[in-house]
This record gives sequence, structure tokens and C-alpha cells, in this order.
Amino acid sequence: MRILRLLTGIGLLCSTSGIYAQTIKGNVRNSENGEGIAAVSVVLKNSTTGVVAGENGDFEITVPSLPAVLVVSSVNYETQEVNVLNSSFLTVSLKPLLGQEVVVSASRIGERAIESPVTIERVSAATIKNAPSASYYDIISKLKGVDVVNASLTFTSPTTRGFAGSGNTRFNQFVDGIDNQAPALNFSVGSVVGLSELDVESMELLPGASSALYGSGGMNGTLLINSRNPFNYTGLSFQAKTGVMNVGNQYRGASPYYNFSLRWAQKISEKFAYKITSEYVHAKDWLASDYRNYGRVGTNGALKDGTRETDPNYDGVNVYGDETTINLRSLVLNAIGNQVPFWQSYINQLPGNIPVSRTGYTEDELVDPNTVNFKVGGALHYRITPGLEAILMGHFGTGNTVYTGSDRYSLKDLKIAQYKFELKADNWFVRAYTTQENAGESHNLTATARQFNELWKPSAQWYQEYGFAYMNAKMAGLNDINAHNQARSVADIGRPAAGSAEFTRLWDSVRLKPIYQNGGLFLDKSDLYVAEGQYNFSSLLNDAVELLAGGNWRRFVLNSEKTLFHEVDGPIHINELGAYLQVGKELFNNRLKLTAAGRYDKNEFFKGKFTPRVTAVIKPAQDHNIRLSYQTAYRFPSTQQQWIDLSVGSGTLIGSNRVIWEAYDLINNPGISAPEFIANPANRIPVIYEEVKPESVTSYEVGYKALLARKLFVDAYVYTGAYENFLGRRDVVQFNDVSNPAAYRGISVVVNSDAKVKTFGWGLSLDWRLPSNFSVYGNISSDEIKDVPNNFRSSFNSPKYRTLLGISNSGFGPKDLFGFNLNWRWQDEVDFESDFAISTLDPIHVVDFALMYKLPAIKSQLKIGANNLFNQYYTNAVGNPSIGGLYYLAFVYNMQ
Amino acid sequence: MKILSNPNNTIRMRFLGALLSLTFLTACNKELPPPKPIETPAPSGETIMEKLNAADYSILKAAIEKAGTFASTTGKLSDILANPEGVITFFAPDNTAILRSFALMGLPADASSLNFFRAGQLDSLLKYHLIGGLSLTTNSISPVAPALNLYLQSALLLAPPSPSLPPGYRMPIFLGKQGSSGFVNNIPIVQADIAAANGVMHKTYAALLPPDKVIWQTIAANAGGSYDYFKAAVIRADGGESASGQFQSALSTPNANFTVFVPTDAAFEQTLTQLIAKALMEGGMPQGDAVSAATLLVGVYGPTIISNPSSIPVYGPGLAAEITPELLAGVVAYHIVAQPGTTVVGYRNFLVNFPATAANLPTLVNASVPQHPGLTLQASFGALGITAATVKGLGNATASNVVLNAIPGVTHDIHHINGVIQRIDQVLLPIPL
Repeated sequence: MRILRLLTGIGLLCSTSGIYAQTIKGNVRNSENGEGIAAVSVVLKNSTTGVVAGENGDFEITVPSLPAVLVVSSVNYETQEVNVLNSSFLTVSLKPLLGQEVVVSASRIGERAIESPVTIERVSAATIKNAPSASYYDIISKLKGVDVVNASLTFTSPTTRGFAGSGNTRFNQFVDGIDNQAPALNFSVGSVVGLSELDVESMELLPGASSALYGSGGMNGTLLINSRNPFNYTGLSFQAKTGVMNVGNQYRGASPYYNFSLRWAQKISEKFAYKITSEYVHAKDWLASDYRNYGRVGTNGALKDGTRETDPNYDGVNVYGDETTINLRSLVLNAIGNQVPFWQSYINQLPGNIPVSRTGYTEDELVDPNTVNFKVGGALHYRITPGLEAILMGHFGTGNTVYTGSDRYSLKDLKIAQYKFELKADNWFVRAYTTQENAGESHNLTATARQFNELWKPSAQWYQEYGFAYMNAKMAGLNDINAHNQARSVADIGRPAAGSAEFTRLWDSVRLKPIYQNGGLFLDKSDLYVAEGQYNFSSLLNDAVELLAGGNWRRFVLNSEKTLFHEVDGPIHINELGAYLQVGKELFNNRLKLTAAGRYDKNEFFKGKFTPRVTAVIKPAQDHNIRLSYQTAYRFPSTQQQWIDLSVGSGTLIGSNRVIWEAYDLINNPGISAPEFIANPANRIPVIYEEVKPESVTSYEVGYKALLARKLFVDAYVYTGAYENFLGRRDVVQFNDVSNPAAYRGISVVVNSDAKVKTFGWGLSLDWRLPSNFSVYGNISSDEIKDVPNNFRSSFNSPKYRTLLGISNSGFGPKDLFGFNLNWRWQDEVDFESDFAISTLDPIHVVDFALMYKLPAIKSQLKIGANNLFNQYYTNAVGNPSIGGLYYLAFVYNMQ
Repeated sequence: MKILSNPNNTIRMRFLGALLSLTFLTACNKELPPPKPIETPAPSGETIMEKLNAADYSILKAAIEKAGTFASTTGKLSDILANPEGVITFFAPDNTAILRSFALMGLPADASSLNFFRAGQLDSLLKYHLIGGLSLTTNSISPVAPALNLYLQSALLLAPPSPSLPPGYRMPIFLGKQGSSGFVNNIPIVQADIAAANGVMHKTYAALLPPDKVIWQTIAANAGGSYDYFKAAVIRADGGESASGQFQSALSTPNANFTVFVPTDAAFEQTLTQLIAKALMEGGMPQGDAVSAATLLVGVYGPTIISNPSSIPVYGPGLAAEITPELLAGVVAYHIVAQPGTTVVGYRNFLVNFPATAANLPTLVNASVPQHPGLTLQASFGALGITAATVKGLGNATASNVVLNAIPGVTHDIHHINGVIQRIDQVLLPIPL
């Protein structure tokens, strides 16, 4: 004992003299209930020394000397500075607070969420840990004003304030500052590449227009996902989720769901830390099984009555190959009549238009049901000085998924890699990164199935057989539809059955052949290179004014090996330069903060674009903030809208660039607007080349955030948006053969619509902390579009109302080891429009539930999760899969 | 448990209860609707089979029932007529019409005459009264020259479609209209457009009797001894008796379709006399002598003048030089109504399909002389039917008369599988002699 006391004395002596380091052990707990708080950050003030408290709030930090000031902070708690005089066990009690979490995306500098000048939603690691969602990415759908479209289990496309669709080019996603888009697609490929769940520190969502800070694309929101720094979160963590899905699916039986993730981070020294992360998801995907009939040609694309048995021209939504259609009368029967004169009079009695489609295959029959996603990532962090960190990071993701564009695409063995180098200091950063895409064996299901049909029996032959059989069936006294069905059964003789060896052989040969060689494969090895930097001058100005400046350079390198893009001399390069400046000033004793930001972007193929933003935050009282903003956003045409040059059987899709217009001689010999020409060949409206302008939106927003009685957090907003120069396609026909003045070809060109539409919406969320660790939360939001011209397809795709209601408890039962989270999301019906199909979606109810049980002794947690608890299948976009219940058991170890 | 011991328990449980009940009550998504079949309006009213239950169709009904005992490859007729989902056009001779037909066939005009027919015969006969897949009302027939009828296919199968999918051939049937009166072949429709659940029925004046020969069979057999000259002309024009000869093969093709104007032997003799007299006069013989000599030659040698003119003593070389195969080919071609561009398809003009206002029809001559005006057809219709039918050749001074008989099929409307023969009283001349 004496020796021990002596040693302690020496230790104290040493610590006070600053020679020996001191270890402080302690615990951080909730001041209201005394429970330990997980993942609290404990940092030695004015240093980089810091640790994160464990599951139950325990921490251990080594400081060079005593006394020392520790900064103890955690999301949703008031940060506390503790003056530590000796090394005895330290207990820190933190006050939980709502709206106090620090967000950086709203203004590109850290600020408290409650004081954000624009609407912002934040999802913390704690939320992810206790959320029912099987994928952290899907938590976004629970936020107010958010719509998601699920094209596949692993392909969720979020949006805010309207314009939902799979593959959303109006919504930006950044992961640790890396633009997460696939360069040739211009949208994020779901969660195929990105962070593993265990590495997510937080997600921040900026609804609405946000180009002023983030550049092209963020017209309908920006999502920023931040990873965990290996200096702050160390050690091994892993998570295993196994579950079951597709229960009660009539086309696909109940199937297992696996999701494993792993994170290893090590702090080698004060200067160097690294991490390795990985995630593997394997399941049988949700199945798109909308077999309703689709009016593809000469209509607005709406769904209509009809089945394969009752409509000879049936074109099922999720049935492919049946897009091939002809007028049997004019193209086959009349020719038969010429060869077989004794049928001519009979044929003359038939209707002038007998549309007949070929027999298709369902998505179920064509797409590999296994969806796989494998992600691996790593980062090296080196602190050159305590205030300057160098980061070298890489992410790689591969997998199978399906997404809905103008057709359904099977993204098979898609590979995306991202590499970044960054230097980060308190006031500035510079980073450079690249995204390398390889579409693998991705193919267009419609194109592939149509070519597949041509391969097993060319349409010329199929329709000829059909025509003869149809006539013979009719002459035997059958009514029309029975004659059609008999004709189809005759023409379909030899049709490979789905799944047969012959089917697989032919299907593989078509899907692995590029579209331009009459296959369905799209080759894509495009890359994106970005360099950017930012400097915060505020401290140089003694914080009298907040001043921030930044800029970036982006280069797309489009390489499809001439299969997709107009590549004449090798890959196409698109360069963009942008710069932004933000000035903020607090006035009237910090009762008012004004900020103005502006950004200028120049794409080498488009005129420069200036996007301003002005915001004001009024603080009438503590914990009450009113925010006002004027925001603008725009997007350049997607890389495909700029440079595609693809023949798709029925015509050619070309990009907006003048070079391509010239290649097709559309400048000197303009195309004629196709719908009018087809309706009346005398009606020839030329489509003259006009330089395409970026699409843009201007938005005004008023919002209010308040924390009432320190227990009820309220956030509300109202906004309006005005959109113009919508980018879209227009079909033209071009008379291109001098020797044959009647011959023409079909070309689809990119144009700006002259439609101007207005949107309007509002949202309200409440978060109420109750005694005994209960919380009740809910939100309601609304989005509407106005002034839509009759002939304009806006694809607004948002319900007028959506709501979320939830209740959770973060600790109950013995030792408060249990927790639960139950929520119910409802959305109103949606008139859904897309290039793929148009229909009204019924209202959707989804109830999610999770029950947690903490295992503090082994730093672990068990979770039983249910997404769509009542297994009520729903689709949130026409042609997308039906999503049912996903039930899983998760074991997570050491999720800090 | 802590949750139960808490005084605020009741309130919390209410929250939870309210939330749960709300979710259970409302969380019910609609299943993705299955594709909705296109509803074909359910056929209403009686089927044709049911219509035949009327008393005045009793013989027809009995015939159909008897036909049903035959195992036909094209299905049981009564099933086709009774199928409410089928679509057919049916020509229904009532009892009066059937008895009339029995009489024409020389059978007793009594229902018992059905016994003369075997079930298979009745099946064929009655399927000739049926057109599958179309519901043809008389409005469907647009009375447009050159043939005022529709060339349709009955359900009487002659050549079934084979697996390699040639079209198959059914006994053709013709639906025509003269003024507002409808005809099937040359049989008047007594009551048109009787709508039924599975199509339309037309009551006819007589039963339809399917032809059993092709045109060349009748000509080659020299039926009634009245085709001597035309037969000889065809064979010589074809360069001999040969199935592959141009005219013989065309007139033998079952799925061809022609109207063949066959001049009577007397008409040929008259034309030959004129032709030979003209040639003799051109050789310097006085008109009276030339006519006498020509009449004598025709009277003595008859069809040999056409079939083998060089065999005739003295006049042989002269006749052979005059009556060449080329000349005969032109003459024969001019008697066969054809569609331009085809050698096997023309129009089947029953007399009821002759235009009331003179109109021209192309012939096989148009195959080599496209601009030739063809033949001019015309018919006069009285209250009781045809009163006169004529056809005029370009080289003829006057129009030829179709030889009319009280019974169709004797000298006019002689029906064949591949066409119809109309006997005429002049040889048609594509150019003047």
C-alpha cells in the first residue's frame, strides 16, 4: 500500500511537472436519467488528443499533464468543458439537447442545426444504430419532405421537393466530399459504392435547391454522408444481419437476406491512423412484376387494359421483348394478299390497323434474381501538424442491381472505384479525387429481349407465320382474339422457354453484345476527375465577418469504346470550372445573421452559370430561429444528354452537342417534329438547332426551428420553386435520302422545354422527448406542382401529403437494456410519370419496427428489425419492384 | 419492469396503443393490380344454331345434325354454328329453298331427299355455306366494277394448310350485290343480315352447290359436245395437249379464278367462215364464191380448221398461214377475264355480277398488250332477274349475248371450282378482222 501511494505521489509529481503523461478514466452519462451515453467525444482542449466513449459512456484518455480541460461532446447533448485537476475517476453528466447537433453542409462550415439558414436534416450514427431500416441509406425516406424510389433492393433514389425517379440527376450525393455519381449516368448508383454502415458517422440532407454551394445538379436536394475518422473511432467493429424477405411473393418464394459489414481502424500514433471497411449484401432482389398493359406508341404512355391473352398488341410494363410491334394488316396481311389473291378480298374486310406485338419475357425470367453488393474501402490519415491532416482514401464497390431509366436496366457486375487525396485544416481543405466506372455486363432489358426475339426467330419470319396462322384460324370460324392467340401459338413454336439451356445460350450471346451490334450490352468505362479547395477567411478577419471561398475543377472522361457516346477521336472530355464565395455577418447582437453566397460555373460546352443564394437567420429568442432563404440551382445536361449517339432500332438517340447535330446534318437539314408529322404528314414543324441551356430552379423558403421546454423540437418550412428550361427529348424525323424523298429516319434530340412550372410545399416535424427514455416523433410534408402546360410531362412524382409517426424508447426493461423504435410512414397517391411508364400509384403505408437488446458486457447489441412489418407489398414508381417485408436479426459489435 | 412501475405508464401505454391501432387500421397497401383483361362484350342473343330452330329451317337443321355424325377434320359444323364465341357468316337456305334445290337436282321435293346424301357429303355441302372469322353483312360489299362480288373462302377445305404454312385453300364463295339485292354466288339472298350472337346469317333462295370440276375439265370433256372449237383453239394455242400449256394449266389450276366466255360452236363456225372468206377474197376470189367456199370448208372440216389446218387438202397451206397458234392464243386470251399482272386470277362474274352500266374488264390479252381496253360487259335486270347480258370485244361490230337458259348452269353461270363459264353467241375479237 505504501509503495502504491508512493508511486501515485510520484505520478502526481510527475504530472504536475509535466514530464509524465496522465491517464484519466471516466464515464459520461445522461444528466436526466444517469444512463451512460455511447459515442461521446472526449477531447483535450486545443489539441488533437481525443477518444470516443464506449457503449456505456466509459472512456479513458491520456493527457500530457494536469490540470487539463476536457471538451466532452455528443450529438444531441450540450457540450461541456471539464477542468480536470487529478486523475481520479471522472463522471461527466451531459444535458441532452435537441437541434444542437453540428451540421456542416448547410453553409459549408460547422453550425448548430437549429441555427441553420436553410432546411437541413441530420441522421446520426446513433439513429442508424437504432433504426429499423436494413440499410442505413433507407433511413432517408423517413425524413420530412423526402420521397424515395426503389428500383431494386440496392438501388434507392431519394429526392426532395418533387421530381422523383430512379436515377435522379437532380439530386447530388457526396461521400466524404466525393461526388458519388457514376460519370456516365450522372447519378449515384444507389448504395453500390459508398460507405459501409459501420463507417457512417452522419448523414446530412439539404432539401431543395443547393447549387450555390455544391454546383451543378443539386436542384432537388443534396445528401452528404460523412465517415468516421480513424483517429476518433478505433478498433474492430462488425455487424451481421441475416433475415428473410420476399415472404408471400407469388412469383418468388421467401428468400434469405444477408448483410455483413466490418470496420477496422487503428491509431498507430498521434500522427497516423488508418481504417479498412467492407460490406457485403446478398439477397434475392425485389421483383418488378407489373404485368399491366402499356400504351407505348401514339399515346401518352399511360397504362391501359389488356393482357397477353386479350390484347394481340400487349406490351406489359415488366415484360420485355413485346415492345416490338407492327401493323399486321399493312405490313404482312396485305403482302400475303398480293401473293395469295384468293385471300385478298377477305383481307380487305379486316381493319386497317391490326397492331400485333411479339411475345415477351417477364423480368422474372430475364434478370438474375440474386442481387449482390460488395464494398471495400480504406483510408490512411496522417496528421502533419495537429491542425493539418492528410487523407488518402479509396472505395470500391461492385454488384448487381436494376434501375429504371427509359427502360429497365440490369446493372450487372458494375464496378465503381473512387480514390481521394485530401489535405484538411481547420480553415481550409484541398482535395482531388477520381471516380472510375465500369459498367461490366450491364444491359438494357428491353433492347436485349427484343434482339433475343430476333435471334431465335426474326420478326420477318415470325410475323409471316403469324399472319398465315391468323388467317387460317379466322377462316375456321374463330373470333378475332382467339384467332390471334392461335396465330401466336403457331408463330411461337420454337420459342426458347425461359431458363432452358437454349434460352440461356441465346440470351447470354445477346446481352454480351453491344447495342449497336444488335445486342443489349452497354460498354462504359467513364471516369470523373475532380480537384477542389476551400478557404475560410473568417479567423483572418477576427470573425468580424464570415468569409468563405472555394473552387473546383471537374473533368468527365466518357469512354464507351464508341458504343454509347459520340466518340470520334477517343474518349470525350468535358471540363467544368467553378468558384464560390460566401459572406456572413451577425447583426443586432447576434439576433440576425445574414449570409450571401454565389457560385459561378463554366462548362466548356455551355455558357457560364451564376447561382446566388441569400439567407437570413433571425433569432427572436434563445432556441427560436426563423430562417429565410433565396436559393438557386441548375444542372447541366447529363453526360448522356450531352454526348450520347446510340442507334436503338426505332431511331437514334443523340446528345445536345452541336458536333453531333452536325454529324447528322441536322443543322442544314433540320428534323421535323415527329408526333405532329406522324399524326398528319403534311404537318412539318422543323426543329432548329438551339444551344441547350442548363435547367434551373429558383426557390424561396421560410422556416422556423424551436426547442420548446427543452423537450420538444419543432421544425417547419414553406417554400416555392420556379423551374425553367427543363431538359428533355424531342423526336424528329429527318429526310436524309436525296434519291428517295419519301425516306426518313428517326432521331431523338435533346431540347429545353419552354414550360415553366411552379412548385409549392411545406413541412413540419416534431420530436418530443418524454420521461423514461420515450420519444415520440412525427412529420408531415406536402409538395405540389402548378402551371403544368397540357402537353408537358413534368414527372413531378410527389404525393401531395406524406406523414411519419413514430415512437421509440432508448432504454427500458431490466437495466434499461431494451430499446425499440416503431414508425409508420404514409404517402398519398401519386400521379407517377416517367419515360418508362405512366400511372397513378396508390397510397403507401409502411410500418417499420425494431427491438434492440444491449449486451454491454461484450460491447454488442442485438436487433430484431422489420421493414414493412405487415408485409404490405408496394411500389413507389411505375415499373419498379414490389417491396414487401424484410425481417432480420442483427448482431453488432463495438458500433461506437 | 421499469416500464410497468412508472407512474406515467398509463399515458405512455395510451400513446403506444393509439399508434399501434392506427397502424393496424390503416396500414393496408393495395396490391399492384393485375393486368385487366380487355372485356369482349358478351355475345347477346341467339347463336346461328339457335336461329335454325325456327320451323322453316327444319330441313337445314336436320341436315346439319346428320352432317355432325361425320368426323370432319375441320370440326363439327353444329359446334361451329353453336359456338357463342365464334364469328361466322352463314348462308341458310330455308325449307322452300332446299326443296327447290332438290327439284333442280332431280330429287323429290321432299325432306326425305336428305337421305340421298351421306353425312360427309352434307358436311362438305353445308360448310360451303359458311365463311369463318368475318361477320359479313351486305353493307360490307361495295358494288365496284370489275367484279361486283367479294372473293371469299368458305369453310369447305380443299387443301389444308401444311406445317410449312402455305395458306391452304377453301372452296371459294362469292358475295355480291346488285342494286340493294345481295347474292351469294348467283343465288339471291332472300333475307339479309340476320344478326346472331356469333355472326350474321343470310337466308338464301336455294342451297349452294359446290362445284366439282375445274374449267378445263369441262372444256376438255367437250361437255354436251359444244366446246369443240374452243377446246381445239386452246390446245393449238398451247402447242398441243399438255398439262403445262399456258391456257390448259391456268384453266386447270384449282385456286385460279376466271370468268371464261366460251363462244358456242355456231359462233366459231360463223367467225371462221368470215375469216376464210375474207382471206379468199383477198386472194382474188369473188365475194359470192369466197363465202360459199368458206361455208363449205367450215361445214366439212369443222374444228380441224383450228386444230390442224395444214391437213386440209388444197386450202391447207393457206389456212395454216391464216389460222396460226399465235392468232388462236390471242383469241383464247381475249376470252379469259384476268387481273392485270397475273395469269391465274381474274374475276368470277356470275351474271348478277355484270354491271348494269357498261364497264370494261381486262383479259389475259392485257398481259402482252397492257393498254388494251379489254371487254365491255353489261347486263339488264328486270323485276324477275336478268333479262339480257352482253359482252363486246374491241374488234366486234356488235356485242355478243350471253346465252340465257331458264336454269343457271346450263348455258350461263356454269360454275367451276376455279371460275365460271358464260356461253356467248360470237367469238370475241381483240382487233377487227
